Amino acid sequence: MKLRLLSFVLPLAAFLLSCTQSRAQQLDFGDHSSSTITTKAWESLNAKNYPNATGYAKKCVELYEKQALEMQKSLQAPLPGTDREAVSKLWALNDVGTCLFILGQALEKQDKSADALAAYKQLVTQLPFAQCWDPKGWFWKPADAAKTRLKALEFDSLK
Amino acid sequence: MPARLPALLPAAAALLCALLAPMNPMGPAAHGAEVRIQRTDDGRFTLLRDGQPYFIRGAGGSSHLALLREHGGNSIRTWGVEALEQKVDGKPLLDRCAELGITVSLGLWVAHERHGFNYADPAQVRRQRDDIRAAVRKYRSHPALLLWGLGNEMEGPTSDGRAPHIWQELNELAAIVKAEDPAHPVMTVIASAAATKVQGILAHYPNIDVLGVNAYASAPGVAAAVKAAGWKKPFVLAEFGPPGHWETPKTKWGAAIEPSSREKAASYFSTQQLLTEEAADIALGSYCFVWGQKQEFTSTWYGMFLKSGEKLPQVDAMSRAWTGKWPANRCPRVAQLQSELRDAVVVPGSLSTIRAEATDPDGDPLRWEWIVTAESTDVRVGGDKESEPPTFPDSIVQSEPGQAVIRAPKQPGNYRLFLLVRDGKGAASADNFPFRVEARP
Repeated sequence: MKLRLLSFVLPLAAFLLSCTQSRAQQLDFGDHSSSTITTKAWESLNAKNYPNATGYAKKCVELYEKQALEMQKSLQAPLPGTDREAVSKLWALNDVGTCLFILGQALEKQDKSADALAAYKQLVTQLPFAQCWDPKGWFWKPADAAKTRLKALEFDSLK
Repeated sequence: MPARLPALLPAAAALLCALLAPMNPMGPAAHGAEVRIQRTDDGRFTLLRDGQPYFIRGAGGSSHLALLREHGGNSIRTWGVEALEQKVDGKPLLDRCAELGITVSLGLWVAHERHGFNYADPAQVRRQRDDIRAAVRKYRSHPALLLWGLGNEMEGPTSDGRAPHIWQELNELAAIVKAEDPAHPVMTVIASAAATKVQGILAHYPNIDVLGVNAYASAPGVAAAVKAAGWKKPFVLAEFGPPGHWETPKTKWGAAIEPSSREKAASYFSTQQLLTEEAADIALGSYCFVWGQKQEFTSTWYGMFLKSGEKLPQVDAMSRAWTGKWPANRCPRVAQLQSELRDAVVVPGSLSTIRAEATDPDGDPLRWEWIVTAESTDVRVGGDKESEPPTFPDSIVQSEPGQAVIRAPKQPGNYRLFLLVRDGKGAASADNFPFRVEARP
């Protein structure tokens, strides 16, 4: 019986693993720049392709977290959003911060609240001065949005 | 003897107040409170009501007042004096509020240009000034009065705020209010915290004491936004709730997707929590919207109660945020509402199954109601009154706890499916999704 079960479970596990790998292989990081990967993460999130959004966001964090932390460390306060050029120079901080927010959103949509909480907490505690350009014409702070999601998740988990 | 009577009156009044004070929930302020704003040494603004710190735990609306008190609220906001003339629980609104220990941010309506008011017409301007002066004289001594709400979104809900003529007129109106009643601060409420509006007020409206802002999706960051725009006086989050119908994702035919009851409750809670944690330096408090029921885009988007009177989870969320505790009886919790009909296009007469999961935290047995309505076509701006769309009871083919079968209406058009779950003890939950009927989808 055990052998029969294993003969069923093992191929299934192999199939699932290959699916995961092929999913990861499907991700196209383009020129591997933080802006390209962040754009793809946003596009995947908006298209409700949450596994891809997760993959792109994690890749951006993996590649550029160190620079992002250095940029954050160099600041005493967030730069004024009116100085678009100066804010844009903090590319790693802004893109990694944005990707942590996207990651949290994508994980929430996959019912992974604990992982989403971790992403939001990392953003709030480590990259609070990250900013993201809204095409409507202003910068917003992913860490502020993450604080709201943290409170919402905290509330949703109250018994 | 007659000559001595005036000298005795203050003592008699004081004795009467002392005797009545323990019976009156408004406390020592029962005969007209003096309200002022204090800035403490650490730079924080505090509202002082008869000398005592007072943080506004408020709601917009004038119904379910006893429930507001039970759930930890202490203040309501009105928009115009007409509301004060209505009887609530058999008493005039202000008297009922005073009886319950609820203060009132008393709205003095300031006319909107989009409703036809012309700020360049001296006769209209004079009439408005006279009306506001008369209202202040009438209500200034009422013990429930907390502050004056001079105007609400009068710059227009979609205005960029470049309206110096309106800010200048508000400055005149505030001067009238202060001359008639120096004992209560003047708040003016704008729609969103656009920097141009804040800067317009800073430039043209020095008589303002408190800036109120109505905000929905952006509510958690509004206090920071007004500070960034240069605001240095106190602030009240004057309306807040779930993301507005203009702020949420839409279906492919453009129907706004209403947040779920769980998402709405979490939104109220997080906004209130962040206000108290992150804007304590300038925030005097907040008013959640709306403590009652209102048809605005849908019948459940902004209302914290059903039309049939049951409270919704947003009320419990505010109670938790205000008091740190859950109320005695909690609302049912809808975990899921799933169907192939959700946000979908179907043909007339087609059948769809809806499945939902709901539980009651108190273990109360639940009653389920499924409703199909037309999508509202009477959608207005700025919260103007809207009519209710028709319902289609024949569309409910099968209804049972956790499941329903819906027949799409014959008439092509846009619709919504509502699920109302009630606990039979005054608490409920409301969720909906849009769908569209097309002859050939």
